[in-house]
Amino acid sequence: MAAAALTDTLQAVELADGVEIRLRIAGPAARSVAWLIDLFVLTGCYIVLGLVISQVSRWTGGEIGQGLMLLCMFLLSWFYNVFFEVGSRGASPGQRSMGLKVASVSGAPVTLPQSITRNLLRVVDFMPFGYLLGLVCCLFTRKFQRLGDLVANTVVIYSGDKKPAPSRQNVNAEAIAPTLALSREEQAALMQFIERAPQWSDARKIELSDMLEPLTQATGMSGLSKLAGITLWLQNRGRKG
Amino acid sequence: MNSSEFEQENLPRWQRLEGMLDGVEKGRVPGDVEELPTLFRQTCHDLSIAQHRMYGLGIVGRLNELAIRGYRGLERRTAGGWESLFRMMMVTFPQRVRAEWRLFWFCSLVFWGPFLALALWTPHDPEWAMSLLGPSQMVSLESMYGEHTSPHEFLREEYGSDFMMFCFYIYNNVGIDLRTFAGGLLGGVGALFVLLFNGLHMGASTGYIHHAGNPSTFYSFTSGHAAPELIGVVISGMAGVRLGLALIMPGLRDRKTSLVLGGRQAMTLLTGAVAMTSFAAVIEGFWSAQPMEPWIKYTFGATMWLLTIAYLTLCGRRVPHEA
Repeated sequence: MAAAALTDTLQAVELADGVEIRLRIAGPAARSVAWLIDLFVLTGCYIVLGLVISQVSRWTGGEIGQGLMLLCMFLLSWFYNVFFEVGSRGASPGQRSMGLKVASVSGAPVTLPQSITRNLLRVVDFMPFGYLLGLVCCLFTRKFQRLGDLVANTVVIYSGDKKPAPSRQNVNAEAIAPTLALSREEQAALMQFIERAPQWSDARKIELSDMLEPLTQATGMSGLSKLAGITLWLQNRGRKG
Repeated sequence: MNSSEFEQENLPRWQRLEGMLDGVEKGRVPGDVEELPTLFRQTCHDLSIAQHRMYGLGIVGRLNELAIRGYRGLERRTAGGWESLFRMMMVTFPQRVRAEWRLFWFCSLVFWGPFLALALWTPHDPEWAMSLLGPSQMVSLESMYGEHTSPHEFLREEYGSDFMMFCFYIYNNVGIDLRTFAGGLLGGVGALFVLLFNGLHMGASTGYIHHAGNPSTFYSFTSGHAAPELIGVVISGMAGVRLGLALIMPGLRDRKTSLVLGGRQAMTLLTGAVAMTSFAAVIEGFWSAQPMEPWIKYTFGATMWLLTIAYLTLCGRRVPHEA
């Protein structure tokens, strides 16, 4: 179980209401792409800003323009992400396009101090080049946190997956009582197997169901249908009881 | 009850909460928003039941999503930012500096030690300062504060308008504060290095002007903003070292908790330092280069020192410390 918990990107968090929610933590790959997109957006911002300010300078004189440019560069380079993260979406444009958002470890929206902390510390995460320190830190923490995330107590999560809930499957099998007593985890694994099975090829389904030979006492297609029967029995048990 | 019965029975409630959250997330406030906490808690209860009865990914996933969205909707703060910033500046920040007085004196020593050493030593033996500054900075120092300049003629024209200089000071000086803080995460080494280097550099400049320039031009320019700027540098160093200490000396806490708590304290210090540096940038931009009698400048500078010290020692004394 410990090893499974280490590799799981679903992190359980208990809310004050006593309920446990599961956050889908985003890994370094998705975050890197989001960062690249943000880099493009930032470059675009600088170009537009340069054009606008060069026009403004004609009216106000070059020095005011230079000053404005410096001020905008200061704000953009340090607070670009902060501005978007504390907004209602909780994500920079790059993160939004990758379906990510920044959240406190508890799943709550980031607060302003948290957001500022994690973004100022980008300087350290970037060292020695290209976010190497941040990447290494990500890979050694369970929640894929870079140094800035660790100090600010934040995580980057996938914002709600928009894919529709899988439709109810009609399992063509007769309900069969399992011959062994199954633990809750084992029952849950069977349910998830049946829910996900329509997405796999028959060979893959059989490969997985063959691993359960001690339970089904059969292999191949008959093992699979027996497994479906057991799952059906587990699902419907509540109705009788 | 199986999962589809459960879903049928509770679906209207989930859909109401979903609709309500759609509105809240877009900034609209639905009329029946008072019911949001109740609906949220009921949905949390449904989620617990669905998890316990293993109703499958479809329902559990949907409820999980709904619980996260509801939690975020309820936890979002949309007001009180300015109030808490004001409180931080007038109460929490000065309290924090006083609570960390050992760190304050340590960082002051790291900054002022090399500053004074070089400032006092250079007029006797300018070699070290000259090698530290390099030829181009020596030229620029001489053009600003050279022997033939006088405090009455500040040539701002060649450096641009007051506004541009103000923006430059924000960009540069506040940027240094922020980098000092971030560098502190490397066990405090980055922050200490910036403090030490700034101390050396400013000390060398001061000493070099005594050696080769007109000190009264220099002092009448710098006296106005010296207090908030130099104290701001020291406090941003404190913020960085605080962060570094949280990492290398977590004490009784585990390292991660220590970092989070240290980060919060450091953020308070940094916010104050940034405010002081920005204030210094306003003075440096719009006041320091005004052509005025040096005694006016010096009186103003002395007042600034008194105000800065009074601010840090007296503000927020009557308010009890936060935990």
